[in-house]
Amino acid sequence: MFDRIVRWVDERIPLTSMIRQGLDEEIPGGARFAYTLGSATLAVFVIQMITGVWQLFYYVPTVDHAYDSLNYLRTDVPFGWLIHGLHYWGANAIIVLVGLHIARVFIYGAYKAPRELTWLAGVVLLLVTAGLVFTGAPLPWDERGYWAAEVGTSIAGTVPFLGDAVKRLLRGGDLMGQLALSRMFVLHVAILPAILLAFLAVHLAAFRRFGSVGPWDEAKRQRSGLFWPDQVLKDAIVAAFLLVFLIALCAYASPPFAGPADPLDTSYVPKPEWNFLFLYETLKFFPGRLEPLGTMGIPLIGILILVLLPFLDRSQERNPVRRPFAMAGGAIWVGAVVALTIIGYRSHPGGPEAGSRAPGGSHARLSQSAREGATLVDSLGCTGCHTINGTGGSVGPDLSNESRQGRSRQWLMDQIRDPKSHDPGSIMPSYPSLTKQQLNQIVDYLQSLGAANPPGEGKATVSPPVREAPDPAPPLRQSPVVPPPAASSPSKPSGAIHGLGPLPPGSSLGPPGRAASVIGSGEHGAILFRLYCASCHGPEGKGGIPNPGSAGGAIPPLSPIDRKFYSSDPQTFATNIDRILQYGSIPKGPMPEKKMLVFGMTNSLTQEEIADLEAYILERNGVDRAQVLHPGIPPKIFFYLTMAALVLIAGVLGGVWARMRANARKNAS
Amino acid sequence: MDERSSQSAQPAEATRRGFFRIAIGFLAGVGGLVLGIPLVGSLIGPAFRKKRARWSRAAAVADLPEGTPTVLSFTDRSSDAYLRETVTRNVWVVRRSATDVTVYSPICTHLGCRYDWEPNSGHFVCPCHGSVFALDGKVLGGPAPRPLDTLPLKIENGELYVEWERFEPGIPKKIPV
Repeated sequence: MFDRIVRWVDERIPLTSMIRQGLDEEIPGGARFAYTLGSATLAVFVIQMITGVWQLFYYVPTVDHAYDSLNYLRTDVPFGWLIHGLHYWGANAIIVLVGLHIARVFIYGAYKAPRELTWLAGVVLLLVTAGLVFTGAPLPWDERGYWAAEVGTSIAGTVPFLGDAVKRLLRGGDLMGQLALSRMFVLHVAILPAILLAFLAVHLAAFRRFGSVGPWDEAKRQRSGLFWPDQVLKDAIVAAFLLVFLIALCAYASPPFAGPADPLDTSYVPKPEWNFLFLYETLKFFPGRLEPLGTMGIPLIGILILVLLPFLDRSQERNPVRRPFAMAGGAIWVGAVVALTIIGYRSHPGGPEAGSRAPGGSHARLSQSAREGATLVDSLGCTGCHTINGTGGSVGPDLSNESRQGRSRQWLMDQIRDPKSHDPGSIMPSYPSLTKQQLNQIVDYLQSLGAANPPGEGKATVSPPVREAPDPAPPLRQSPVVPPPAASSPSKPSGAIHGLGPLPPGSSLGPPGRAASVIGSGEHGAILFRLYCASCHGPEGKGGIPNPGSAGGAIPPLSPIDRKFYSSDPQTFATNIDRILQYGSIPKGPMPEKKMLVFGMTNSLTQEEIADLEAYILERNGVDRAQVLHPGIPPKIFFYLTMAALVLIAGVLGGVWARMRANARKNAS
Repeated sequence: MDERSSQSAQPAEATRRGFFRIAIGFLAGVGGLVLGIPLVGSLIGPAFRKKRARWSRAAAVADLPEGTPTVLSFTDRSSDAYLRETVTRNVWVVRRSATDVTVYSPICTHLGCRYDWEPNSGHFVCPCHGSVFALDGKVLGGPAPRPLDTLPLKIENGELYVEWERFEPGIPKKIPV
């Protein structure tokens, strides 16, 4: 029956001969595992295409739903963790495999005539792969992806003359937003894959035209083997191990939940993924006006060398020992990329992680007293509400130019000790327990703000986030997250710290904000916690900070949290604490000195930041915000089952082999 | 080709290559299963998932007056896959004892207007077309085709939880929309 179908098809299209054309190939020197790198790359490409298409069943490319839709796939759809994980780790694996494949082809001299076209199509495939990696990164619309695309498109903007136009074309405008996401999406799922498939066809057709290059040693070339089935079996074995390896990565190293993209979050310090770290380090050698040399010049030279290689190196000699210059050049290239990647991996860009975000981070030019004041401002959590030199909250007035406000020392001291003395409606916490010396130190610091920094040097005392460097334009205020319903936007009259209406009493909190249903990043939440919460709730939320006038006498710890908020269900737990973050609360007691600030309703923290904080607080209480609710088969068990299937197959094949040999011997005798 | 033919003609070589073909088939099969089962599972799982009850906390039962209908507002968080919506709902609640509570949808069963409680007559009255309902929801007059729609509820630790639902108005049968 099957033969009849094949015959019927063959009469109409030359199917069998096409398959033979693809498989019947002699390999000089016989099949080798060294030749499996190309097919392994192809196998992972196939996995990428399948998992990529499958993600489209759930993913939507819009700034307001991309992150949530992907996380729904990862946590709520059976095997979603595997489908996304394979795509994520597959993208990383492809870069390694393509690198190894190119290295092997280079060492074997397989780029030389008559295989130039195979090589050139391969170079295009390499560039398309880089394009796929670049355009795929922002699609989850998380912090990592967003900032990778922001920095990446800004790099494109450094090209002389055409840069700005290229950047605008990539982004669909001046700033990163919906149009940028749509463009990256179309490039990633339609245009680049189409180019990839076209050049893959050229690559394979050209490969088939002249076949495997084989060993350079003539003696070893005497023996020959067949592509089918000898080499294909080796390819299949490597592909199977790769698949198992990728599944292991999905089970034991799930891709991170980086938190929703937040263009306003200045506490996030972007750093490229490992695959672009070498370029990131290279850029450091080209400061200022030389920047385009690093961003465009070096990569272009690299691409040019790859394109021209078969035409520059025209000798037919393939033995690496007799090609010292080529080998030395290749070794220097690989060594440089590996060294720069390692240096980049170990470098720490300036930011809150490095302690530079805090106002007290770097104040070499300040007096000793003002430096002490800066430390106090940091430890008291003043930047939870006030912005100082570009960082901090927006509940209270910006203090960056406090010295120019013309307020007296006494006025500032009164304001800190008892804000209601100037404005009875102020919600700024009072700090009556500060000593006079401490108040003087804080005022010294406040009065240095603006005065110590001549115009244009406003950010000199705080390391600017790395991402600001390439693009001076302010980030788009296009938060995809809709803040919870608020009665009205807070007003911020200059000169007085009030701005907010009275805190809503704990009993009449509004509905949870959108942050409650967003899976935030616990890692980034930890940074935000140190900035906004630790001064009241203690380091890591362990508590111990006194709150005179409150019923308990102290600010409640968050780790462990009051059991009435706790739930093992991450959604319920997040919802329970969300309302406090959105609407604040007033502790019970006759006159609590400190109150929980209103972070959500006032937009002093974005919903994305609140989601990150919630993930961190859940993490501190042993609950994973990104818990997989419907795994299909739990990740580790799925991995064990895959391993068991492979072992079973090996056993069955062992039996088949023994039986076939026995039969062959019997027939021979 | 001649050399290859002569190679494959050798019995040992033929056996070896025959085994290779079988091994490739097995590996391809396992690979197909390892990928295929999750791919199919990811589409089947959500398609056949049971609808989960969406309980919203409405009030503490002890806070409800006994015998008098009360309007309760609560936050209903509905979700459709990754799309989530928070809506404030109003319902009528009648508490007869600590465990005997009825929750009515605030929508008239006639054409979907919002009805009200008239304390003087002790009836629910719809202002649109004059349907009148008793405290137990029965139709006392007007065009309403069925009694007031009750909503699913549960009482846990003294707290009343309600599941919001809408029903088709204008027909005698109570059919969820």
